[in-house]
Amino acid sequence: MFSYIVKRLGQSLLTVAIVIVSVFLLLRLMPKNGYFTREDYVSLDKEARTAYLRNLGVLDDPFTQFSRFMSGLAKGDLGRSITVYPRSPVLEVIRDKAPYSLWFGLAALALSMGLGLGLGILMARYKDSIVDGLGTLYVTIVRAIPSLIWLFFIQQWVTALLGWPMLFYEDRPISWILPTISLALSGIAWYAIWLRRFMVDEENRDYVKFATAKGLARGRVMRGHILRNALVPLVQYFPQQVLLTIAGSLLIESIYSIPGMGGLLVNAIRQQDNPLVQALVLLYAVLGVAGVFLGDLLMALVDPRIRLADARTKGGEA
Amino acid sequence: MKALKAGLGIVLALAALGAAGAQDRYDATYGSEGSSLRYFYTPTTTDQRIAANTQDGLVEQDRFGKFVPSLAESWSANADMTEWTFKLRKGLPWVDSTGQKTTYEISADDFVEGLRYVADPKNGIKNLSSDVRKLIVGLNGYYYDLVDIDAGKKKDMTRAEALANFSKVGIAAPDPYTVVFKLTRPTPYFLSFLVMELFLPVEKAFLDSVGLDFGVAKDKLLYSGAYYIADWQRSKLIQLKANPHYWDAKKITVKTVNLQYVVDPTVEVAMFQRGELSQANLGADQVKALEKTKWAQYIYSDPPSASRYSVTYWFVQNFTSANPEWRAFVNNLNFRKALYYGIDRVKLNELDDPYKPAAILRNTVVPEGQVFDEKGVDYTEYPGVKEIRAAGNYYDKQKARDYFKKALAELTDGKGAIKGVSPGVVDYKPIAELKVDGKLPLQFVYVALPDAVETKRAILLKAMLEEAFGKENIEVTIGQVIDDMFAEAVEPRRFDLLHDNFRFGYADPAAQLSRLITGGGINDGQYSDPEFDKLVADAMGMTKLAERYKTFAKAEALFIDRCYVLPWVMGGTAYQITKVVPFTYPRGGFGITRFKYKGMVVEKNPITAKRYESLRAEFYKELGKASAK
Repeated sequence: MFSYIVKRLGQSLLTVAIVIVSVFLLLRLMPKNGYFTREDYVSLDKEARTAYLRNLGVLDDPFTQFSRFMSGLAKGDLGRSITVYPRSPVLEVIRDKAPYSLWFGLAALALSMGLGLGLGILMARYKDSIVDGLGTLYVTIVRAIPSLIWLFFIQQWVTALLGWPMLFYEDRPISWILPTISLALSGIAWYAIWLRRFMVDEENRDYVKFATAKGLARGRVMRGHILRNALVPLVQYFPQQVLLTIAGSLLIESIYSIPGMGGLLVNAIRQQDNPLVQALVLLYAVLGVAGVFLGDLLMALVDPRIRLADARTKGGEA
Repeated sequence: MKALKAGLGIVLALAALGAAGAQDRYDATYGSEGSSLRYFYTPTTTDQRIAANTQDGLVEQDRFGKFVPSLAESWSANADMTEWTFKLRKGLPWVDSTGQKTTYEISADDFVEGLRYVADPKNGIKNLSSDVRKLIVGLNGYYYDLVDIDAGKKKDMTRAEALANFSKVGIAAPDPYTVVFKLTRPTPYFLSFLVMELFLPVEKAFLDSVGLDFGVAKDKLLYSGAYYIADWQRSKLIQLKANPHYWDAKKITVKTVNLQYVVDPTVEVAMFQRGELSQANLGADQVKALEKTKWAQYIYSDPPSASRYSVTYWFVQNFTSANPEWRAFVNNLNFRKALYYGIDRVKLNELDDPYKPAAILRNTVVPEGQVFDEKGVDYTEYPGVKEIRAAGNYYDKQKARDYFKKALAELTDGKGAIKGVSPGVVDYKPIAELKVDGKLPLQFVYVALPDAVETKRAILLKAMLEEAFGKENIEVTIGQVIDDMFAEAVEPRRFDLLHDNFRFGYADPAAQLSRLITGGGINDGQYSDPEFDKLVADAMGMTKLAERYKTFAKAEALFIDRCYVLPWVMGGTAYQITKVVPFTYPRGGFGITRFKYKGMVVEKNPITAKRYESLRAEFYKELGKASAK
């Protein structure tokens, strides 16, 4: 187990390093005219434009820029934004925005899991019944209709019906409900449909038939055997889903005017804000890789059949 | 029971009074994210709005667009208008982000420090244009010394020495309440520069204390304007509260301004309908959607109060095109006149405004209502320009066809071959590629932006021209850029015809005309006309406004008559539903003070279109009197 963790940590670090270097180099390939508007071209001559770029730090050679980024990183300084929020420390921008995405994301994840797993269990337990049919209908609707349509419906009509605010307000908890539900809708469908599928798969396994033949109650077979094993493949994604909530949702945050992280990376790329792009890519790469890594570990913990590297070695010795 | 009825009566009476009365709160939205609070650099209108309301300059524009005292209570200029002296109000404090007085007093030095900050290239104030740098004595040299030192090109001076030379720049504070500007040329319109963010003050001791953090948060700047920033959350909210120590506090009727970040215009309208906003802007689709509802009575548009009103859209023709067919035609005046009369500008504008598409046509390059002489006469009322403006919608298909026939007679051999043009390939890649054969039909590339409206407009223009002049004579190829017309098409010369928009920078016809001369900053067509250039140069040397404008008007009339560009419409018009009483707030065509909320009256109920019309009539009557003063 230990050597497996060390190996995976090494792989993870390598992945993060590759992502950072690639993004860094790609940013340097972008044309510099994105820093100027039409009026800038009229009012600034070439020398003045060059001076502006030099002061942004984007004319230094890539090696200098990279070492500046890395030495700042070592000191916990991610630099300052250059175009999206000129001169604001990147860490401050992330610190201001991340909590919104994180709390909404976690609340939506909890809701997705609670309702989605519950629905999945019901659909599997009462397979081919009306419950299963209604669940499938819900999943089909959520996945088939473009999210913009139902998000618009919820925001315009549900708020009008209930008299709730159309936007998110930090000091009005009632305004937190619809964005959370909107964020959770597809998650509920995802958990429900996959759990149902894995449970139905498990239900047809020999060990289940054996347990049933032994006379175990259906409820106990469901809870103790089928559900536990069906959760294993879903557990793998859990850490990643938790960690990446910080990235926010571009669509829902912009619809409800939630000042979170959704859209920040897109804006930063569009406006060629290199320090901000680098910091965000680093953050998401680390969280993404950590999520996969933790997912694997968690799977090994909940599934006795998985023994990772150490187990295989032991098996070999036997 | 009687007491209850009496109580209810009082409550109802109070409610009725409240409904008619002014509100002390203004709720609106913003869709373009404010980038920072560093008020010297305001790339978005949101930034400009915040800067205008939280900082005051020396002068500002009032509700008639006239320049009136702000932090300066009076001013004077020398005889040739190259030296301007401003006397400041005394005893005004800088306030902090809680609205409390600081120990700093607003003084003349703060204006000197403001310009010093702006002029240092290290501060990245990109909007310090060459117009401004070349206007203030020594500013251009000071700026380029620093640029050259930073680039390692200038070795005979250290940065510290160059910075010390700011004392030679034409701005000085001879005493704490006097600011003096020295200009490189007679500038009767200098006040119109002073409403720009570049001339705002900054308190040096505070600036030094916050360093690089200046303007990154609401407590990292001080306030000299009508409001201070009480709350600022990125992509969420900007809340302004009235500054209790403001010099003109009695004019601040709205005490709290809440601006919420809303991207979706549909949400903005719905929020207005639910009473959550004081104002909402409407697109053509939304106007249509509300047509048969009770809201229709409140919808109106007032182009001159729009923030981009002084922007003008015009068609740019490439006189140095790589396309030999187009080059031959566009350099022929009869062909240009054929386009001038043959483009139905109203039809093209119906895509933006299906209701009053002719209302925002603009025939001139200098906008109306922005430049006035000493007697209050609008520059666009001067002979030459006046007739062009009065022509209104001059679209005339027959006239266009007549000019086109003349052009064909001059440019072709009568059998369809274009004189002096041989076959070839026109490479506008990645926008377009054309094989031209030197024969009719004339082939050319019209370049458009890729959004839905511009695509429709390009298709419409193609159909319009091919129908007017015949497909056997003209074949338009539509090319599209990704998102930047200038960088992708204009600068690399990958176009024959396109339309673009141009801002009007300050209150003088030179703001547009001096940039349109041979080699001028916005001469995107690259035409050359020595006669026009000379008229503009002559006008720029004149200090008496009437004489100056007369010559400029002559130049512009010649410019339009020779169709070097084809003016189309004014910018930034939008329909709105609002509780803000029109004409109560500042207006103007340039700078930022027109974004002030000073004087703005917000009512409890929306303003009807009918009421707007009567207020409008009243306002223009008053404006006429005010201009004549």
